[in-house]
Amino acid sequence: MSKIETEVLIIGAGVLGAATARELSRYKVDVTLVEKEVDVGWGITKANVGVVCQGRDTLEFRPEYHRTKLLWKALPLMEPLCKELDVPFKRVGAYLMIRNLARKDKLDKLAKRTESLGLGTDTYLPYSELKKREPFISRDIKGGLYDHAIAVVHPVCLTQALAENAVQNGVNLMLETEVEEIQTGDSYFSVRTNQGEIKTRYIINAAGEWVDKIAAMVNADDFVLFPIKGYVGVLDRDCSELAKSLLAILPEEPGDMNIVVPTVEGNLLFGIQLQINRRHDHSTTEHMARKALENVRKIIPEISEKDIINSFCGYLMFRNFEIGWHECEVAMSSRVSRFVNMTIGYPGVSASPGAALEVVEILRNDGLRLDPNPKFNPYRKGIPDFSVLSEKERKALIKKDPKFGHLVCRCEMVTEGEITEAIKRGATTLDGVKFRVRPGTGRCQGGFCGPRVTRILARELGIPETEVTKAGKGSAVVPLRTKQLLEEGN
Amino acid sequence: MVSKVDVAVIGAGPAGLAAAISARERGAERVIIIERAERLGGLLPQCVHNGFGLLYFEKDMTGPEYEKAFVDKANSLKVEFMLETMVIDLNEEGMLTVVNRQQGYKKIKPGAIVLAMGCRERPRGALGIPGERPAGIFTAGTCQRFVNVEGFMPGSRYVVLGSGDIGMIMARRLTLEGAKVEAVVEIMPWPGGLIRNEVQCLHDFGIRLLLEHTITFIHGKRRIKGVTVAKVDRDLRPIKGTERFFPCDCLLISAGLIPENELSKKAGIELDLVTGGPVVDQNRQTSVPGIFAGGNVVQVHDLVDWVSWEAELAGAAAASYADKGKIKRADQIRMVAGENIKYVVPQYISGKDDVTLHLRVSRPGLRANLKVGNILSKRFRSVRPSEMIILDIKAEKLRDARTLKELVVDCKLEGGD
Amino acid sequence: MRERSKSLWLIASSREVIKVSRREIVICIGCPMGCRVTVTLGKDGSVTTLKGAECRQGQKYVLNELKNPLRTLTATVRTVDEDFPLLPVRSSRPVPKTLLQPIMRETARIRIKTPVQAGDVVARNVQGSKADLLATTDWSGPGGEG
Ligand SMILES: Cc1cc2nc3c(=O)[nH]c(=O)nc-3n(C[C@H](O)[C@H](O)[C@H](O)COP(=O)(O)OP(=O)(O)OC[C@H]3O[C@@H](n4cnc5c(N)ncnc54)[C@H](O)[C@@H]3O)c2cc1C
Ligand SMILES: Cc1cc2nc3c(=O)[nH]c(=O)nc-3n(C[C@H](O)[C@H](O)[C@H](O)COP(=O)(O)OP(=O)(O)OC[C@H]3O[C@@H](n4cnc5c(N)ncnc54)[C@H](O)[C@@H]3O)c2cc1C
Ligand code: SF4
Repeated sequence: MSKIETEVLIIGAGVLGAATARELSRYKVDVTLVEKEVDVGWGITKANVGVVCQGRDTLEFRPEYHRTKLLWKALPLMEPLCKELDVPFKRVGAYLMIRNLARKDKLDKLAKRTESLGLGTDTYLPYSELKKREPFISRDIKGGLYDHAIAVVHPVCLTQALAENAVQNGVNLMLETEVEEIQTGDSYFSVRTNQGEIKTRYIINAAGEWVDKIAAMVNADDFVLFPIKGYVGVLDRDCSELAKSLLAILPEEPGDMNIVVPTVEGNLLFGIQLQINRRHDHSTTEHMARKALENVRKIIPEISEKDIINSFCGYLMFRNFEIGWHECEVAMSSRVSRFVNMTIGYPGVSASPGAALEVVEILRNDGLRLDPNPKFNPYRKGIPDFSVLSEKERKALIKKDPKFGHLVCRCEMVTEGEITEAIKRGATTLDGVKFRVRPGTGRCQGGFCGPRVTRILARELGIPETEVTKAGKGSAVVPLRTKQLLEEGN
Repeated sequence: MVSKVDVAVIGAGPAGLAAAISARERGAERVIIIERAERLGGLLPQCVHNGFGLLYFEKDMTGPEYEKAFVDKANSLKVEFMLETMVIDLNEEGMLTVVNRQQGYKKIKPGAIVLAMGCRERPRGALGIPGERPAGIFTAGTCQRFVNVEGFMPGSRYVVLGSGDIGMIMARRLTLEGAKVEAVVEIMPWPGGLIRNEVQCLHDFGIRLLLEHTITFIHGKRRIKGVTVAKVDRDLRPIKGTERFFPCDCLLISAGLIPENELSKKAGIELDLVTGGPVVDQNRQTSVPGIFAGGNVVQVHDLVDWVSWEAELAGAAAASYADKGKIKRADQIRMVAGENIKYVVPQYISGKDDVTLHLRVSRPGLRANLKVGNILSKRFRSVRPSEMIILDIKAEKLRDARTLKELVVDCKLEGGD
Repeated sequence: MRERSKSLWLIASSREVIKVSRREIVICIGCPMGCRVTVTLGKDGSVTTLKGAECRQGQKYVLNELKNPLRTLTATVRTVDEDFPLLPVRSSRPVPKTLLQPIMRETARIRIKTPVQAGDVVARNVQGSKADLLATTDWSGPGGEG
């Protein structure tokens, strides 16, 4: 087992860890980013709907809250960041709607607050106007507030891009490296992982769902988290026209989160059905699925069970009640020096650029020397997306590399060229490829392309197909060869 | 560009091959099949089992043998092939956009087009089974491809959800290959596939078939560890207290097939909501003139023989369309699915020519009385949704119906369900 | 369209046997009727009555199922070609049901190294069944076209 020394160790390559790593890579400082999974962004970040929240949809974004400050710090940064990293960022706009006119005063209050905070103006539209813009909404809707600024990103793509760019600029990324134990020394921590020991001066704890457990390893858990499970459903491509913008209903009961979100790729997600649950259970339940469907039909009645092609669950890590539901924790531990906790229940993706800046400030204030990295390059080129290219671009691409002329996934129109490129960028599993270039996310959910992607992975990684996994150790796709069982039975 | 293509066929499965052959036989000069896979045959290469060609060749053949018969004929007739070529667009004018490695991005405007894209399997996601998202969940057809063509076994202990033919055939294949199949779980009170498959694939090997059961939960974080199976009530809802755990390292979904009609939609072709395929007339012409369709893209067939025959109609009509620039529409009478009939194909007939109807009942039962308007009635000792009913109607019979706009097909069950 | 009526009867070949003292029930697969045929057997194993078959072909099938159930075995055998790892095969004639598994185990021991054509014998008289295993498709050998 190896022994590594580093100045800053970031635990967890979710959107927060990756954003921080990338921000730190602007400086001449030794950064190691460890992730227990075989790929980045597979924690809470994966179970996300990708909204770049503006903090004006609920009064809970009180200006004095830390998470509100981080979010507002982040908002102007998100679009340029996506440009630098060449990941899609789409302003889709949002309608926050009501089904009962008695609730209009709530919307008025929100609109007024938005203006008084200087965040822009949101206009109220009656049903007749909404219907013109979003023809599929339910008749029960009375009106809604339009927020033009709402945008969507792909959280996993963003995280991959952040990590890729960080590595490009010198960050040491260690996958399948799980932090198991931390010992506090006088001027350093000694961190035991399944891949060996890491000696580090600073720790940034961005372990998402496990952030409190990691903090507890060194007694730095000066906060309590309440994990709330959230369910999200994915609709078939055929339903894409049902909503052009984000459609939400102003919560009718506390904890209600009833939204339809167009993704950057154009299909729709819906949810978020919330439920208090024990952690590490990521299963979807019949109950949540039914409730979520019932709810979304309050927005668009046309959606039915057969339109749902997938669903997933993730945890929203909310802070304890005294500080308020939605507060976050991005701070140096008050009990342990050089140990920074970093967790945002919601909206961690939107706030990530702000949170990363904040962590850099925390380190600087603690005396970490941060000289600019002269070799820092903020740009990263994305993988070409064949499905959205023009005819001319497609022709040029195939000419350059004929692999782009070989379509592997029929539903999402993904080419072999894109898949091999994804593997070059670090995808080592079916899911890794899927989260980079989308094969298997369409209607057939990998039925057609699964065997083909498996074969390409084996070829590019130089491993037998029996060793290709869906999502890392213990998840082999096809662990056996035909006839093997017959031989063993002999 | 080389000389003009008369008939372009999309898909090189049994439907595409048969359509191309019949187009050539009807005089089309240049017939070209465009296929996205690396080899011909569509689903046939992976169907190594027998049961093909019983009607068409009056021989019990395997999938590869059936395929070879058609491929050899297509070759001798100089049908052209473009392999590993995906048709990514088709518009109302009949312009095809195709992509492949060698020629890149290309447009083709043939004289006529036959759609023979087959169908796709319903995936699990669409079924929304609660639970985890581990590795080890496959559609039955994907598993079949792994086991019979690619040479890999996804696991050693299986549960199959759905008793469609593919599911049952795979249950047998996996057992023969040394794996254990714990159960085939079917939500309906009757099996989804052919009787011969129920007997030869399940009974022969003592594989249990759980009718009126469904999977209510999928267990396992990395790799599937098992499923919870429960009995369902009349509304197909799981009954509390009937849950059982079945350990497995692989779950196969055989939940039926859906015609592959992405391209048809792009071309603005009218689709039948029940079959999931294009609405066609007697010649298998779709609502867009010059575009024909045959095989599983039109309706999910249970016997390949009918796939071939249906595609031959489409191919022949496409050849004459390519020749004359149009053909007479055979859409004078609309066929309507009446009592206990799920669908009728073709949806339109001419009323002047002999016609063969393909239809399926909604519910199984004994002593069925099938009626086509009041021009024809036929008795069946038993009917099942999984077995397609084929009905030949002679032109004379239709004489009286010519003035009608519609013909309703009913199937009354006299012996009860 | 073509003649097809008579060949429908050819589909037959299997059974489900539920032992009820001296009675057996066999599901006929001759046609979609799927008759459940009840057969009673005498002490010597000979058939005394046969009830439930709607037609004569069905009766024949059922008697055969009781006497000597046969199945055509289809399978694959390995080749030495990475791109075409499995060659589909079938038994040249139906084999006793009890031999299906033993023959499958034999398929695991076969490896095809040279080109074959559909119909070629890849193994003779497997498990003493008098049936050969025949290739059901062509393979042009390692490195050739699939
Ligand atoms: C259903 C849902 C919808 C949401 N929608 C939005 C939205 O629209 N917009 C928005 O801005 N936010 C949204 N959020 C919130 C957002 O997803 C989170 O705030 C954000 O993803 C948190 O990122 P993270 O980096 O803290 O956590 P994670 O993504 O969980 O990253 C933590 C990483 O640490 C790793 N790790 C854990 N333990 C260890 C260990 N011991 N050793 C090594 N590595 C370890 C994990 O594997 C993981 O990859 C949503 C959340 C949910 C649940
Ligand atoms: C597992 C299984 C077992 C079966 N067993 C039997 C049996 O025992 N006996 C029997 O008689 N019948 C059986 N059948 C039924 C029969 O084999 C199928 O109905 C038949 O294969 C359908 O033929 P097809 O040509 O319509 O479709 P397919 O065989 O599916 O062919 C369609 C072709 O079109 C191609 N294609 C699709 N879209 C495009 C595009 N955009 N561009 C280019 N190419 C495209 C596909 O790659 C494919 O090759 C079985 C079917 C299955 C799935
Ligand atoms: S006995 Fe005759 S009618 Fe009954 S299932 Fe067999 S073949 Fe059909």
